[in-house]
Amino acid sequence: MLEQLLIFTRGGLILWTCKELGKALKGSPIDTLIRSCLLEERSGEVSFNYEAYTLKWTFHNDLGLVFVAVYQRILHLLYVDDLLSMVKESFSEIYDPKRMSYDDFDETFRQLRMEAEARGEELRKVKQVGKVVSSVKKQGQVSKSGLDGGNKSGGGGSKKDVGDGDKDKDKVGSFMTNGNHKMEDDDSDKTNGKENTADNVVLDPSKLMKLRSKGVRGRGGVRKTDSIGNKSSKVAAAEPPKKATKKNRVWDDAAPKQVKLDFTDSVGENGNGNHDHVDIAAADQGESMMDKEEVFSSDDESEDDDDEARSDEKKPEAKKKGWFSSVFQSITGKANLERTDLEPALKALKERLMTKNVAEEIAEKLCESVEASLEGKKLASFTRISSTVQGAMEDALIRILTPRRSIDIMRDVHAAKEQRRPYVVVFVGVNGVGKSTNLAKVAYWLQQHKVSVMMAACDTFRSGAVEQLRTHARRLQIPIFEKGYEKDPAVVAKEAIQEATRNGSDVVLVDTAGRMQDNEPLMRALSKLINLNKPDLVLFVGEALVGNDAVDQLSKFNQKLSDLSNSGTTRLIDGILLTKFDTIDDKVGAALSMVYISGAPVMFVGCGQSYTDLKKLNVKAIVKTLLK
Amino acid sequence: MENLEDLKLMAEQWTNQGLEYLQKIPPFQLYAAIGLLLLTTVLLLSFRLVRRTKSNTVLLSGLSGSGKTVLFYQLRDGSSHQGSVTSMEPNEGTFVFHFEHAKKGKIKPVHLVDVPGHSRLRPKLEEFLPQAAAIVFVVDALEFLPNCRAASEYLYDILTNANVVKKKIPVLLCCNKTDKLTAHTKEFIKKQMEKEIEKLRASRSAVSTADIANDYTIGIEGEVFSFSHCCNRVTVAEASGLIGETVQVQDFIREYIKP
Repeated sequence: MLEQLLIFTRGGLILWTCKELGKALKGSPIDTLIRSCLLEERSGEVSFNYEAYTLKWTFHNDLGLVFVAVYQRILHLLYVDDLLSMVKESFSEIYDPKRMSYDDFDETFRQLRMEAEARGEELRKVKQVGKVVSSVKKQGQVSKSGLDGGNKSGGGGSKKDVGDGDKDKDKVGSFMTNGNHKMEDDDSDKTNGKENTADNVVLDPSKLMKLRSKGVRGRGGVRKTDSIGNKSSKVAAAEPPKKATKKNRVWDDAAPKQVKLDFTDSVGENGNGNHDHVDIAAADQGESMMDKEEVFSSDDESEDDDDEARSDEKKPEAKKKGWFSSVFQSITGKANLERTDLEPALKALKERLMTKNVAEEIAEKLCESVEASLEGKKLASFTRISSTVQGAMEDALIRILTPRRSIDIMRDVHAAKEQRRPYVVVFVGVNGVGKSTNLAKVAYWLQQHKVSVMMAACDTFRSGAVEQLRTHARRLQIPIFEKGYEKDPAVVAKEAIQEATRNGSDVVLVDTAGRMQDNEPLMRALSKLINLNKPDLVLFVGEALVGNDAVDQLSKFNQKLSDLSNSGTTRLIDGILLTKFDTIDDKVGAALSMVYISGAPVMFVGCGQSYTDLKKLNVKAIVKTLLK
Repeated sequence: MENLEDLKLMAEQWTNQGLEYLQKIPPFQLYAAIGLLLLTTVLLLSFRLVRRTKSNTVLLSGLSGSGKTVLFYQLRDGSSHQGSVTSMEPNEGTFVFHFEHAKKGKIKPVHLVDVPGHSRLRPKLEEFLPQAAAIVFVVDALEFLPNCRAASEYLYDILTNANVVKKKIPVLLCCNKTDKLTAHTKEFIKKQMEKEIEKLRASRSAVSTADIANDYTIGIEGEVFSFSHCCNRVTVAEASGLIGETVQVQDFIREYIKP
């Protein structure tokens, strides 16, 4: 059930909330949505989860309105997207910038909601049938080659009758109960890959659907292993990848891809082992599949035809908007921007961003967000679409790179000084990015501002690391706390902080060993260091030369830090130090990728190898370079 | 080439005809016409100059969640309607205050701009600062202490902005949400802000030449910062957006934008 539906302007005034669903929302989901999603240029996402709620939204860019629907996360409501677009259309008809209250919209909304719920119900029933149909068809194709008559189970008998008749819901029902019985047999098989591909077919599966599909798919997988040779596996392998590409975006990125790989593996494995399980199940399901085959395959073909017809319809419409009309529109500026208009400009922008070394998925997400914010907007006169898109992208980039909180380190240092404790900074990063060098630069800068610094050599692994820091300390004339090699870095850091409190140092800079983000024991050691010492600033050192790997590094670091933290407060990466900035001329995209994926601001930029080469990030210059 | 020569000949003929015509007009009328033309252009220029200095823009700024949007709609319509959420874009409007509708006579409307307070949208404030005649800095008096540092940094950035210093734009420190029991008093808030800005002065002035974050420094060297040290006037007031208690804010705005 929908918890709440709000309509508000981009300037922040709530225009309408549904009074029927008058439940007060726990916490402040709308504000959190705005702050952590819409203002973070993630408006291209499908939904946003906040505690117990899921939020979906849509924009009306021309009038500057936002429509947000809130519902319980455990429910998977299919009709929300539909409802939002219907509400958008009907509200934009009655919208007037001078009017502030829209009580008459209550009635309209109630009707729209009932309509959307009814449509959702229908859709769900159709999808139930459709999924069974498609899975049965696949199994039917595969099982063409050599299936025995098999046992005549009760279900099998009824299937014979059913196969002859027309397709009907009762048939489907009995078929599915058969499937449910088979579920227990299939659980032992490694056919999880198939159930996930089933999920891929339907965009918003409900829990019931998942359970049913498990049974259906399981049978299909089992039969495939039973049948002779590669043909079956090829057919099976061909179909799920095709269906998998229609899957909507999932932000827990790793899982589905691995699943797809597992699918082919499990086919091979099951072919060898678990023969008895396989045999029994196949025999039971065998004839029902044989029977179903003819009926459902024809239906499937008709479905495909429908799809093709629909897509053909769309193409000529798109071609109608030819060259002349687009030129005319760019002069008069009356056109509402459509997705098709924006696509070429956005694609070009994405290519340009990628040539500037922005990670591919970040560029993709950014383009989606800009698209969401421009769709439906009226073009101003005498502007081309590409210039509008460029302007919107520039705004978005400035918004992302502008820090979310103040990055005034001096102020923090003074605040810590008042509390009579040292300000602890931990430098983390992968191997060879320049942690030790930039630590020395930061120490130099702090020293210039009359802050007393102490270094802690917690890189007890790399040969020469302690000596390196010792040399820096000697040159800068600042104390260094070291315990040699092969010691626990967390303990060394702890003792260093105690020493700093004792001798009154303002800042402690902790150097750690470089570690790859996939290395489990090293990440564990790092989170132990952070948990034990509770630093004020966790600075991730990343080099500007990195490409797509920046996304992986930062997300894995953050993930490990949050997973392995034991106490209540999880410390994530607080800031980024971008190094080797002088080596890249205009390929400055790494800064954007890192800031986007982690949300942490860039606090320093290292632009050389001597002590003075440390500067702050100039947002406008970077944006200009990125879009040049 | 022949065309060009023909055109030249025609142009010469026309200029000759025009000159003859001019000579026929009595000189007095000619001088009168030219004089009138000059006068009107001078008048227009002077009007534009005079009008430019009298801008009627007032900025509502402050941290996110301090109540700017609610205050904006209170001033405009007399009610905050159904509430507000975090603003993503500025709210602008040129209007006469809702409470002034009852007054007779022509009152000059105020161009009020509510700038979003979210830190990612901070650059928007810089767009509006050049045209501002007065700034109202809204502070949440209820949740003051947790946000004290962020609020003081924002206020410091405004007070040291080049436009504000050069044009001596007056600033009103408005303590919002004073209808609640646990809200702090304006004197307390004023003192806390002065203390925080003093600390900021110490840390910000010690910057290297490479990164000058603020254009000017404020206050007098060697003395603890106080709002009276600013070259532009900084006053403190109380208000409550929810119940519509905005008299002090309106008085402040009307002080600088005469009705």
